[in-house]
Amino acid sequence: MAYEAQFYPGATSVAENRRKHMSGKVEKLREISDDDLTIILGHRVPGTDYPSTHPPLAEMGEPECSIREMVEPTDGAKAGDRIRYVQFVDSMYNAPSTPYFRSYNAAINFRGVDPGTLSGRQVVEARERDMEELAKFQLETEMTCPALACLRGASVHGHSLRLQEDGVMFDMLERVRLENGTIIVQKDLVGRPIDKKVDLGKPMSDEEAAKRTTIYRVDNVPYREDKEVLEWVHRIFEQRTTYGYKPAVQE
Amino acid sequence: MADDRKRMFQKDLENKFTKEHGTNKMEGGDITDMRIPYYRLGVDQNPRKLEMKKVGKEIAEKRGLAGYNPMMHCGGIPLGQRALTPSFISGNDDMMVENDDLHYVNNAAMQQMWDDIRRTCIVGMDMAHETLEKRLGIEVTPETINHYLEVLNHALPGGAVVQEHMVETHPALVDDCYVKIFTGDDELADEIDDQFLIDIDKQFPAEQAEQLKSSIGNTTWQAAHIPTIVSRTTDGGQTTRWTAMQIGMSYIAAYGMCAGEAAVADLSYAAKHAGVVNMGDMLPARRARAPNEPGGVTFGNLADIVQTSRTDPEDPAHVTLEVVGAGCMLYDQIWLGSYMSGGVGFTQYSTAAYTNNILDDNLYYDVEYINDKYDGAADKGIDNKVTPSMDVIKDIATESTLYGLENYEKYPVALEDHFGGSQRATVLSAAAGSAGSLATGNANAGLSAWYLCMYLIKEGHGRLGFFGYDLQDQCGATNTFSYQSDEGLPHELRGPNYPNYAMNVGHQGGYAAIAAAAHAGRGDAYALNPLIKVCFADEMLPFDFSQPRKEFGRGALREFEPSGERSLIIPAK
Repeated sequence: MAYEAQFYPGATSVAENRRKHMSGKVEKLREISDDDLTIILGHRVPGTDYPSTHPPLAEMGEPECSIREMVEPTDGAKAGDRIRYVQFVDSMYNAPSTPYFRSYNAAINFRGVDPGTLSGRQVVEARERDMEELAKFQLETEMTCPALACLRGASVHGHSLRLQEDGVMFDMLERVRLENGTIIVQKDLVGRPIDKKVDLGKPMSDEEAAKRTTIYRVDNVPYREDKEVLEWVHRIFEQRTTYGYKPAVQE
Repeated sequence: MADDRKRMFQKDLENKFTKEHGTNKMEGGDITDMRIPYYRLGVDQNPRKLEMKKVGKEIAEKRGLAGYNPMMHCGGIPLGQRALTPSFISGNDDMMVENDDLHYVNNAAMQQMWDDIRRTCIVGMDMAHETLEKRLGIEVTPETINHYLEVLNHALPGGAVVQEHMVETHPALVDDCYVKIFTGDDELADEIDDQFLIDIDKQFPAEQAEQLKSSIGNTTWQAAHIPTIVSRTTDGGQTTRWTAMQIGMSYIAAYGMCAGEAAVADLSYAAKHAGVVNMGDMLPARRARAPNEPGGVTFGNLADIVQTSRTDPEDPAHVTLEVVGAGCMLYDQIWLGSYMSGGVGFTQYSTAAYTNNILDDNLYYDVEYINDKYDGAADKGIDNKVTPSMDVIKDIATESTLYGLENYEKYPVALEDHFGGSQRATVLSAAAGSAGSLATGNANAGLSAWYLCMYLIKEGHGRLGFFGYDLQDQCGATNTFSYQSDEGLPHELRGPNYPNYAMNVGHQGGYAAIAAAAHAGRGDAYALNPLIKVCFADEMLPFDFSQPRKEFGRGALREFEPSGERSLIIPAK
């Protein structure tokens, strides 16, 4: 019997969006060119080779190892790429994604990734070209609204702050700005000015963000109304607690 | 009920976010606004930052070496790209403070709270008296005890007894050092000179006094506080050594003993080991701390050090909130923030829990909810408690958490005030955990509510704290109810060094509150150790342990007068 992953409980749009983020079945909304992505990440100059930390695996004469034989290396690992990161900040004012669901998306759908989940940011470290594949995916799809989410390496505060008057999430380094109705990137991940204005496209409308978001909010989809999610949180809590207390009662 | 309720944080957040402070241009708007103008005024908008900037410049010029310069922040983009706003000390609405002044380095009251704990030990008198009476045939009477205490109050600060031609400490530098005694023996207490006695009957409500005297029985204990200046120069382990040395010398002087006779060793052993109670246990080698350092102060001990349970016993939530304040400051700002990590940024983990009444609002809402649904179970009492069960924990923790989460959603300024997920998780879980304790009178039930709250936050907002923060809260439920060695402990006996909590930023003040809430809710006189509760029931201590949060506010306002100052022996400025 083929198992079909259910990913997440719940009957609301937020729960459905969470299932989409986890499954990777998300809608593509925009195109970001490879060069533009490279510029805003700021890890290397567009058009240059990926810096490497070791020769390609094929040239290394690796020792005999059953694990190595079983696990196909990612493209970045094969080439010997260095480890680099991408880090997203998602506003709590209905940004489409949230840190845990970015991490689930990365861990379920991409190989060789190391997601880190915080409250205000979510980082993925991986071989550089593997990381770029994930970054491009998350940036181009409904997981990201360019006004309510932002790529930030340092000075990341913003996820919990009130929005600017123009609806853009606050950023002390002003890495992006709203210009003629579209979001323009003017600084890279750590706030270094970039030579080219990178256009990330139009922000989502308030209605669209509310429809696509994965955060429960009392002014959109209230958490307390998604009874099935609460029931499952309770179930997990009760089982973890009871298992630790008295394993014998667990079925 | 939740929608109609007037929020306790409303006034504070209006003052903080819709009134101008310094030149931050925050006049106007509403605390429910989701969009605001950002003026990016930098540090110059804030009076304290301006003061610090000016002083930093003067220091650099004077010493010819660069120093504090806020323009070093992010390549010349300083703090203050959003408004820098003051905070209000929870439970003390008139106390508006600069956030910088809640860093313990900038706050003399916070330093003194820790000084007063670290420099304190409790030493039993009964073993010494038995040695004197049974071994040496020396009669011990209330009169001899009074005389001994007079000698010890000369010797403990560093005055010489027994030996001749000794150097001594200057009394003006050690005037905060003293010893008092307490006992459950009413007859003995009556005979002790008032100046030396912590009178349990006077310090505690009658019901609590009876509990304490019953627990202490006819034993007698010395509450010793060595000089702040000594404790700061050495470490927590010095407290019992210094105390034992002066106690030994004082026995010799007061009872006319031979300085070298073998019985002195028995007195020393009793004072240093057999009859001594530290405020904190010694830590294992990997953390390398002596007794009486913060990592060894169990949550139960801290709950007993804080004295609100005797000054406001009818309001168990208030008792709980004062322990939160004390615990967040000690464990997060000083222990994890400095001893363990070396960082300077831990302050705001803590202040979230004791400023602007956001936690207070959540907990008092919980009290109303519990009292409505469980027939007054959150009021002080024993017979009114609800029997702990998984259903009760789930119900209380869920309602508490949903209410708190919804506040962040309805009041964007509350979310902005608690701008980090760890702050929100600490506050929400402290509320849920304490509510669980208040309702059941069982701290482990409260702890269970804490862990459910963490799960609920994570699923609701899709985020919790940071990697290490979340880890501990994902696995904690599994050992909540285990008392087996290496698996768990009664909550009162857990502390910062409990395995799962050793680097548990933002949690430990809440944990201490859970211990306090269970017992304050029952109306118990103490949470874990009656001796510690009585020891700190003493107005002579520089720090007022009945209202830690107000003391922090006084420290921030530069109104608190600490001990251990050195102005006597340094050039006047």
